[in-house]
Amino acid sequence: MSAFVIGFDLLLGAGLLWLAWQALFHPQPFAAVVHFMAFGLMMALAWVRLEALDIALAEAAIGAGVTGALLLAALGRLPDGPTPRRLLRAWQRPPVALALGSVLLLSLWLVWVAWQLPRPGLAAEVTAALPESGVRHPVTAVLLNLRALDTLLEVAVMLGAVWLVWSLGPELRPYAPVTALPGLPALTRLLHPLFLMVPAYLLWRGSHAPGGAFPAGAVLGAGGILLLLADGVPWMQRPEHQPLLRLLLAAGLVLFLGLALGGLLLTGTFFAIPLAIAGLAILAVEVAIALSIALMLMACYLFGEPGR
Amino acid sequence: MPLPLAVMLLLSCAGVGLWRIWRGPSGADRMLGAEQLSTLAIAILLLLGAFLDQPALGDVALLFALLAAVAIATFVTRTWTRLHEAQRRPEEAEGD
Repeated sequence: MSAFVIGFDLLLGAGLLWLAWQALFHPQPFAAVVHFMAFGLMMALAWVRLEALDIALAEAAIGAGVTGALLLAALGRLPDGPTPRRLLRAWQRPPVALALGSVLLLSLWLVWVAWQLPRPGLAAEVTAALPESGVRHPVTAVLLNLRALDTLLEVAVMLGAVWLVWSLGPELRPYAPVTALPGLPALTRLLHPLFLMVPAYLLWRGSHAPGGAFPAGAVLGAGGILLLLADGVPWMQRPEHQPLLRLLLAAGLVLFLGLALGGLLLTGTFFAIPLAIAGLAILAVEVAIALSIALMLMACYLFGEPGR
Repeated sequence: MPLPLAVMLLLSCAGVGLWRIWRGPSGADRMLGAEQLSTLAIAILLLLGAFLDQPALGDVALLFALLAAVAIATFVTRTWTRLHEAQRRPEEAEGD
């Protein structure tokens, strides 16, 4: 059994390295994107082997699914044909060498710092703090109570990404008219209920097992992307619904920030959630964050500001 | 033991899928290679879940299954139509 497991892990690692190389250096952009999607799949398997199921769920939903779809759609906007390889001009070489050298030094330093980290990590402390967090799954406790500030900043980064994408120009209208693909609306109608049910299941599981807001939001967002492809959410593009859309995009961040400030008012500490309401508050914030993440992914997928 | 053998068989199939993704030659070939890899990953996850006694692996497999549909729908609507048009255009020009 151990020989089988080691062989499996070795094959997985070799495949990952090969896919990463191809995703970075394949001459055709489309092939590179497909290699990247396959890389996401294998990476989720690797996280499963490392017994990090929460990360595997997030990687399967975001890395393999939504990012692949985003890159594929972005590819539709690029000119056809392989990208020409430009040689560096003489004055460009020193800064490029400097940048590469500093990246190398920084990564060596990062490896050194990671090597110095205390072992076996903080698992014992998290387990000790678990009864005071309001949830029973350690990853959810860390993400939404013990280190909630990190999660808050992550959501803020995603909102910033939407802002950046929308600043690029007006939204992208689909190339293919939906009437030319009669199977697509039918597929969407068949599948979308599943894309609503699975996030609810993941959110519910998050309090006691791997799951939670990020994978749930990503799956919900993927369902939304399917709807967008079939032209099923016309309200997102209408000018009169833009204030509502912006409000919903910010809702997760605002509710999360409200929870943090509420903790400051009630207990005197930023992000200190009283145990009596912790379970309920975390569930409410998780639902709001999942909805916001789903809308943010859909908003990124529009490739520009809607209603302009 | 039949389960490791089955996983090894699936992994060798994944190798074939990887070769198809790398080799192409058309976009649809590569995309179908990726979808085959996704299907194989689902099977491997379910087998591993039974083998390592971790039923939660089924959740990861569920996500793979759902997101494969999104990938293929995006490919067909936003990439393939364009590639297809780009391939057809020279023929139409010859026909004229």
